[in-house]
Amino acid sequence: MIGSKGLCPQNLIFCLKMSFLFQSILNGVLAGCIYALFAMGLTLIYGVLGFVNFAHGELIMWGAYFLYLLMEKPIGLPLPSALAFALLLTALMGTGVDRFVFRPLRHANSLTLLIAALGLSFLLRNGAQFFWGAEIRTYGFEIKRGFRFLDISITLNQMMIIFATIISISFVYLLFHRSRLGKSMRALSDNLELARVVGIDSKRTIRFAWIIASILAGAGGILLALDTNLQPGMGLINLVKAFAATLLGGVGNLWGALWGGILIGLAENLGVLVISPGYKDAIAFGIMVLMLLIRPSVLFHKQE
Amino acid sequence: MDLFLHLCIMIAIYIIFALSLNLEVGYTGLFNFGHVAFFGIGAYTSALLTLHRVPFELSLLLALAMAGLWGFLLSLPSLRLRGDYFGIATLGFGEIIRMVFQNEVWLTKGPMGLPGIPKPILFSYRFATLPQYLSLVLAFTLLTFLVLRVILRSPFGRVLKAIREDEIAAAALGKNVLRFRIKSFIIGSLFAGLAGTLWAHYTTFVSPGDFTLLETILVLLIVVLGGKGTEWGPVWGAIVLIFFQESLRFLRLPADWTRYLAPLQQMILGGLLILLMIFRPEGLIREKGKISNAGDKGDQ
Repeated sequence: MIGSKGLCPQNLIFCLKMSFLFQSILNGVLAGCIYALFAMGLTLIYGVLGFVNFAHGELIMWGAYFLYLLMEKPIGLPLPSALAFALLLTALMGTGVDRFVFRPLRHANSLTLLIAALGLSFLLRNGAQFFWGAEIRTYGFEIKRGFRFLDISITLNQMMIIFATIISISFVYLLFHRSRLGKSMRALSDNLELARVVGIDSKRTIRFAWIIASILAGAGGILLALDTNLQPGMGLINLVKAFAATLLGGVGNLWGALWGGILIGLAENLGVLVISPGYKDAIAFGIMVLMLLIRPSVLFHKQE
Repeated sequence: MDLFLHLCIMIAIYIIFALSLNLEVGYTGLFNFGHVAFFGIGAYTSALLTLHRVPFELSLLLALAMAGLWGFLLSLPSLRLRGDYFGIATLGFGEIIRMVFQNEVWLTKGPMGLPGIPKPILFSYRFATLPQYLSLVLAFTLLTFLVLRVILRSPFGRVLKAIREDEIAAAALGKNVLRFRIKSFIIGSLFAGLAGTLWAHYTTFVSPGDFTLLETILVLLIVVLGGKGTEWGPVWGAIVLIFFQESLRFLRLPADWTRYLAPLQQMILGGLLILLMIFRPEGLIREKGKISNAGDKGDQ
């Protein structure tokens, strides 16, 4: 902000405030892109299997830690291949979780399923803590000076976030609207029985839904860790944000999840201009409660 | 001997905590995943009041009222929700309450915590030593057990079970489902606040780190391991699990081991929860008169 370079000679304070505002908007959109990736995975599993995956946050966290594992000392892969392997490992973890925890519980009642998911989330979170400890870590890239454009700074990492989000979303779009697999996934989430009747292989489709949801979670987790840091607790708080985004966008609605995520990101980053930054993570929760109060009907549209 | 008394006190406190959750999860079918919030509210309220020289009798009552009040406030928006959404809402609430403890430094001293919480004085009798404290806690445990037993065996308790089994049928019989759920949630929060108060005055120190998801998982595991929806399930669950949880302290392991042992222990708790759900979702004690799970097809 020091380098305003005479752009606004008359009203410096106003100008600073405006650039601060624009910076917050930009940061909000960036964070929102990441939340959108989380929310899309969450809503996808919800659509296909009909339950909120409480362990989704842990897939986010493990995705980020897998990249850390692959890039650090004993393995030390370069970024592109480490990235590919990290996403592969996250997808494996997602399918493994489905195979060993959720498939045996496919016909269980919802309380049983949720308690198991909560236990799983706890298991995975402490698994990460077992290997890497509770301390905050980063990927150890050198901090690059951001580009400046009209007093708003944007780093290379942040540009990567936008780029990766656009790629992931176009990929999901193509998958769902152009491929057979995506269509069967949509059919499954519309009506399970009917989808079976027309001969959709539900086991295979569910497996793919897990793979895609895990990759989205892993990619989001990696981007988040690039922009901030890694810690075992990052899963839970992002689950709440993803869920709030899902609620905003309408449960089971993939594109709604995208907009919901961006709105949550914006609300958080603009919110801290008004309230204490210590409560940044509480904003998503506040939005969630508000949504539940004013639009409880959004919650029920899905199953009817 | 001291360790044994310590273990008994912890078990008794967790029995109260688990009984209160059992009312919600076991009998009413509410997926409360943020029960620790009310434990924490009880603990902090009573700790703050007694540190400001409010007599224990009064601060205990106010702590219960505070936990109940927040239970009521949370239940208003969230109890209208389907089960799993309610789960997320409570999970989030648990985290937010911890954030409040951490950020409102003027009140709670933030991450530093509140040290030196006085031992309780009830009717001018001071419960300071371990045996004295144990007797106090046991009295409250017995009280909780009996009160909840009376509540659950009353027509009120039967309505709660009916709601759990079939919400629509209960509503068709003219029961106001939401109101019964809110009442059940308030009672549950109140007793969680009692457990929190007793815990705070026992350890004499509270900090935000004491009220994490771990406590929620532990108490949930106690309820489902013992047998949700049974009178004695939470009691047995608490005895088994708190013994497991606290037994690490008896072993006096080297300090650098705990860095690995603590997460490992918690991984075991998580894994146990999964295995239990897959192989024996009804827990050690099966609920009487419940033949199959046909009644809860889930609310999909």
